[in-house]
Amino acid sequence: MTTTLAQQPAASAAPKQGAAVGDSGPVETGRRSTTAALALARTAAARAGSGLWKAAGILAFLALWELGPSYLASASTRVFLPPLHVVLAAWGKLFESGTIQAHLAASLTRSVSGFGAALVAGITLGLLIAWYGKLNSVLNPLLELFRNTAALALLPVFTLLLGIGEESKISIVAYAAFFPVLLNTIAGVKTVDPLLIRAAKSLGLSSLALFRKVILPSAVPTIFTGIRMAGTASILVLIAAEMVGAKAGLGYLIVNAQSSFLIPDMYAGILTVSLLGLAVNFLLVGLERHFSRWRTAVGSGS
Amino acid sequence: MTAKISLRNVTKQFTVRAGKGSRPSQPAATGQRGPKEPTTLTALDSLSLDVRDGEFLTLVGPSGSGKTTLLDLLAGLSTPTSGEVLVDGQPVTGPGKDRAVVFQQYALFPWRTASANVSIGLEGRGPDGRKLNRRERAAKASEYLELVGLAGFEDRFPHELSGGMKQRVAIARSLAYEPDVLLMDEPFAALDAQTREQLQDELLRIWRATGKTIVFITHGIDEAVYLGQRVAVLSARPGRLKAIVDVDIPDRDGEDDIRSHPAFVEQRHKVWTLLHDEVRLAQDAGHRKILPDGTAPDEVPGTTLERSAA
Ligand SMILES: Nc1ncnc2c1ncn2[C@@H]1O[C@H](COP(=O)(O)OP(=O)(O)OP(=O)(O)O)[C@@H](O)[C@H]1O
Ligand SMILES: [Mg+2]
Repeated sequence: MTTTLAQQPAASAAPKQGAAVGDSGPVETGRRSTTAALALARTAAARAGSGLWKAAGILAFLALWELGPSYLASASTRVFLPPLHVVLAAWGKLFESGTIQAHLAASLTRSVSGFGAALVAGITLGLLIAWYGKLNSVLNPLLELFRNTAALALLPVFTLLLGIGEESKISIVAYAAFFPVLLNTIAGVKTVDPLLIRAAKSLGLSSLALFRKVILPSAVPTIFTGIRMAGTASILVLIAAEMVGAKAGLGYLIVNAQSSFLIPDMYAGILTVSLLGLAVNFLLVGLERHFSRWRTAVGSGS
Repeated sequence: MTAKISLRNVTKQFTVRAGKGSRPSQPAATGQRGPKEPTTLTALDSLSLDVRDGEFLTLVGPSGSGKTTLLDLLAGLSTPTSGEVLVDGQPVTGPGKDRAVVFQQYALFPWRTASANVSIGLEGRGPDGRKLNRRERAAKASEYLELVGLAGFEDRFPHELSGGMKQRVAIARSLAYEPDVLLMDEPFAALDAQTREQLQDELLRIWRATGKTIVFITHGIDEAVYLGQRVAVLSARPGRLKAIVDVDIPDRDGEDDIRSHPAFVEQRHKVWTLLHDEVRLAQDAGHRKILPDGTAPDEVPGTTLERSAA
């Protein structure tokens, strides 16, 4: 590839694949946008194809859920594992009455506040720790200790100290989301290619510019991985916290439905939780991809 | 004749932790010490060298002879243990806009497009204290991308460029803020033979057009003789200046392949002879970049290995 390119004058060595640039000036922009649209359509088609395959697994699972309880399970099991259409009907009813929305809103408020606080604190502290080596050596053992203490193990402590109100739930979500963000921020800054730092220094960048223009951008993908992990962790912990003591929220909905023997409602709650989890992950993956576009290796997708 | 760069008795030592495999043959170890005691390693030993203004100097030496160390000193990325590094008669205290470095591994910022990579050195205040705006920077980047033959590639990210193109971007980046001195550390070593030859010619063209002072490190003897007005040969570690060979080839700009010109062959042989013993010394010390026959395994991809296999 390199060889063939090298033999031609560089300017005409543009690959055939459309988006490349030639020697024409403004005309190029128009052509580029049409090729871009074409490429977009092509990827959309390809995605639809692979989407069908991916959907196959889910469809099979849903079919099993629908048919399994009716035909395979005993009558007593069927009570605890209602078929899909019963669950969906329960979900519809809960939605109509606005119950689902209320619980979802309660959960979302908590997770967004806790998650947001964790992001701000985790990234700021992570950057500081990574930048000041001394701070790192002091704090590292402590961080290791906290990180390896499961957040849920601390739930009673949070409840004792902050009560069973919103504060304790937001705090435990923040706590659970904090460590992935913090540790990944530190790792992201620490693993910046030293060659890039040398290059930046040789270009005369001040330490502040070095941090802003080299260290931060190259740490962004790693930080986003942490954010994604934090998103998963915060939902997990929130649901658990809501199950233990709350008057609203999806976790409460699930536990309450179970204890009131409203089994289809319980499954409707669980379904909502997994949809919420999916949505959050989808959003964060999208953001992550957006901020690490430059990382895409040649030949992977596109 | 003015010296753009002067090195006066420059010595550079590193403190290294003596590893488990530290051999007694290592000259650095002094006295009786425990295995974990740090020792000093002399990378450059009392080296003096002048580079003229506008000169193209190539620097060869066995692997580990301190070439990169020397370049770091010139770039201001490190400071000498003793001795002086002067640029324009002023001691080097750190990196500066009068010098630019081109690295072997391109060192482009992968999250920046070609254009943004080239203009990163222009984002601060210029020598006149003025800041260029975005448009001016982009224009300048385009100008320099065009100079290195990459017009139209402004919006490409590094991962969308071939190795040769990346190195062109790196060269454009180093030229864009208009330094007087270009410091290049084996910039073409990772490229295939054709791309390398092409870039060598373009570098010569740029050098003639801009009149920069260039210090070019290489482990290819051909490359050193082809590019340099003078070839400085370093000895095996600790690096000392072994000799300077003046390259004098008539009709350099002729159409013929000057690499087969008798003068070229003669100069090449001269450098080869100087390097020969040093390479053997370095090789005994475990470095294997240049073979005793003067070829480097990665200089002509594949051939050396094939030859020995046949
Ligand atoms: N930061 C450092 N700490 C300790 N030792 C170092 C350091 N940098 C270089 N050295 C040592 O100094 C010597 C010279 O290294 P240098 O990188 O300058 O060699 P070089 O001539 O560029 O070799 P090559 O041709 O392989 O690139 C080597 O023995 C190396 O191990
Ligand atoms: Mg080197």
